[in-house]
Amino acid sequence: MLVEEVKGFLKNVPPFQFLEERSLSFIAEDISMEFYPKGATILRQDGPPSDFLRIIKKGGVKVFITSDDREEVIIDYRSEGDAFGLLSLVGGDKSRANVVAVDDTICYLVGKEKILSLVDSNPLFTEFFLKSFLNKYIDKTYREMHNKSLLYGGGDKLLFTTPVGEVATKDVMIASQDITIREAAEIMSQRRNSSLVLVDQGGVPTGIVTDRDLRDKVVAKGRDVSDSIGRIMSVSLIRAEARDYCFEALLKMIRYNIHHLLVVDEGRMRGIVTNHDLMMLQGTSPISLAREIESQQTIEGLIPASGKINNIIGLLLKDGARASNITRIISEINDRLQRKIIEIVEKKMGTPPVNYCWIIFGSEGRKEQTFKTDQDNALIYADLTSGDEEGEVERYFSEFSILVRDGLVRCGFPVCPANYMASNPQWCQPVKTWKKYFSTWIYTPLPEAVLRSLIFFDFRPLYGDVTLAEEVRESMKSILEGEMVFLGYMANTIIKNTPPVGFFKSFIVEKSGEHKDKLNLKVKGIAPFVDMVRLFALEKGIKETSTSERISALRSRHTILNEYADELEYAFEFIMLLRIQNQFQQIESGQPPDNFINPNNLSNLEKKTIRDAFALISKLQSILVERYKPLIW
Amino acid sequence: MKCNIQEARFVVLDSELTGLDEKKDSIVSIGAVRMRGGRIELGDSFYRLINPETSLTAASVVIHEIMPSEVSEKPSIETVLAEFLKYCGDAVLVGFCISIDMDFLSRETRRLFGSCISNPAIDIRPLYEWARQKEEQRGSSAALPRQYRLYDVARHFDIQVSSAHNAMVDAYLTAQIFQRLIPILVEAGITSIGDLTKLSDRLKGGDWLFASHNTCSL
Repeated sequence: MLVEEVKGFLKNVPPFQFLEERSLSFIAEDISMEFYPKGATILRQDGPPSDFLRIIKKGGVKVFITSDDREEVIIDYRSEGDAFGLLSLVGGDKSRANVVAVDDTICYLVGKEKILSLVDSNPLFTEFFLKSFLNKYIDKTYREMHNKSLLYGGGDKLLFTTPVGEVATKDVMIASQDITIREAAEIMSQRRNSSLVLVDQGGVPTGIVTDRDLRDKVVAKGRDVSDSIGRIMSVSLIRAEARDYCFEALLKMIRYNIHHLLVVDEGRMRGIVTNHDLMMLQGTSPISLAREIESQQTIEGLIPASGKINNIIGLLLKDGARASNITRIISEINDRLQRKIIEIVEKKMGTPPVNYCWIIFGSEGRKEQTFKTDQDNALIYADLTSGDEEGEVERYFSEFSILVRDGLVRCGFPVCPANYMASNPQWCQPVKTWKKYFSTWIYTPLPEAVLRSLIFFDFRPLYGDVTLAEEVRESMKSILEGEMVFLGYMANTIIKNTPPVGFFKSFIVEKSGEHKDKLNLKVKGIAPFVDMVRLFALEKGIKETSTSERISALRSRHTILNEYADELEYAFEFIMLLRIQNQFQQIESGQPPDNFINPNNLSNLEKKTIRDAFALISKLQSILVERYKPLIW
Repeated sequence: MKCNIQEARFVVLDSELTGLDEKKDSIVSIGAVRMRGGRIELGDSFYRLINPETSLTAASVVIHEIMPSEVSEKPSIETVLAEFLKYCGDAVLVGFCISIDMDFLSRETRRLFGSCISNPAIDIRPLYEWARQKEEQRGSSAALPRQYRLYDVARHFDIQVSSAHNAMVDAYLTAQIFQRLIPILVEAGITSIGDLTKLSDRLKGGDWLFASHNTCSL
């Protein structure tokens, strides 16, 4: 009869309210109850794991982590009806956080076995915990993974958790855009400020002037200082939302090569953030590296800068960055490095005979590079007209791409073993040849050809005449439209890469060789997601090339993807981070980074998450089989 | 006896009687719930109505709301007591004014099975008095009326008291009060079952027993 009272309570509490009577009775039959006076510690970080899921009947608790320098990081407050202890219960190794009663608190306790069996058998129940519980925790879980490495302590202000609004300079100097250059400079020097925001009569910001503008556009050009300031201000005011995280601002600065961002909150100006502000937040920064790359004039000069990219990854990991953010920043920096190399080579060789576009594909094309990956690049040059000397053009681009290749190698991008590089004449071709390549792959799909061409479908322009790349893409898109046979070939390749069978019992891993007993994360974890999302993107003619951008773009347009988008993002993100983490540890210990991980080194939680990811792959594969039924052999 | 309070097994019990006369009256129902340290094991409770061998008096019917017709079909005290003794095992017994329950239970056990109940028994009431005096010394407790009952103590701890009233509900209330007392006991250095029974026995002397009998009257 005491149990009836508990059931009555649970019927109003998610996710238990989703349970049918039978499951509810199953839980309630050995439920127990504890009381914790205000201030009592219920679970202790790094202490023994919880054997119970605790549901707060009355009172409230604080969930927090103590960082290495004794700083309290509050994760959450939980109150009546909320539960805690699930992660350590599922993980089974230790408690992940401190839980302290903030009031006299009574909890119902549900035993570990009951919860685990519900998690395995009840999809609604599991979904609730996966979505709300784990998502709430996801960033903290990542941080916990990072803290494994002794290299990292907690405590420094986090680039990824600090909103821009918090570091922005609030009292921004504003002046009318109608004042003269001299007046503007006077205001700036009086107030010792390096920037001035200019507004129109309505007070709406219209531009910004910085010390650099005064130097470059006025002094160096000998411009009349009685000119209106409006004539030299930078009008393309790039904005950051006050609630954006600092790294977003950083990305914008790197992308647009600027040092100031206007911080707005719901359209209204809140302040200015400078790269200096962000660097102060961070110590060293990706943007300083980007600038270092920018200022180099020779390949020799680029080599030390390129060596620092690994440090940046370490820094980002330390900051608790999510995998997709790390890869975005790394792509941004690698892009700059590669562009600089091409620029230097171009300068050395002289103006090219015709326009060209340097494209990258594979993981570079998807902006999913972690540590230096093999070169995957190609060159598209404009179709020749009667006046062009064919031999000369070929000679130029052949020499050009060999120089770029060697420059890339010197800066740490190893050659592609399969020779997917512009230096291979096959991949250094005019627009019309590229169009033919794609039409051949699509119209007459052969298994090897499909396999080989897959990575080309992730191409994006890196340097040169972007319209050439766009022309090839448009042509590819129109050829693809309704080409079910080709898409069917792709579906076939995808479903062949099955997740490790029997994974739910134990890890199926490499059976022999150097990587015996290890799991290939790239082939078994990352490739299935990348390939599936690419197929969906091609079905819908989406032009995005990165997996996460494709997922976002497809959400509203693709029914299957829309249904699984959250799970996909979560699973992909998790495996990517696991891979980066693993590679970084390898580099730190002087080994070459690879894609193999030893499952024994994973925590139970990590294992469970991987298992969930594999289950998701299986599920999506069977949906694909259904969708492409007539084309599956 | 050296067992840590926080690890010990308790059975918190309450019984209802036809009256207080040990010679004439008998047990109508037994309610009990197990505790492991401060954890109340809600799923493993014990509640039985018993067919009393003496007739239910009008006075007891008013209090327990157990009608003669409800118990006439119920098992005999012999069956229930055997079950209850098995349920208790060697756990420490806990009750509010437990001496009355123990008097009746022991009498019946002796009569039916020829032996006493040897489990240690802890009375919550004097423990509560003791805890309250500690609080009063620190000036942090509201005054209680001289005469008070289980429900007053429950309310003092802000424990929800339902309108229903039977041996099970009362045993559960008692368990929750005991649950609140444990942190106070531990803080005062009473950490083992030995310490607890010693304290309980010490408090039983003098006025305590009188007070118990006086105010525990149903």
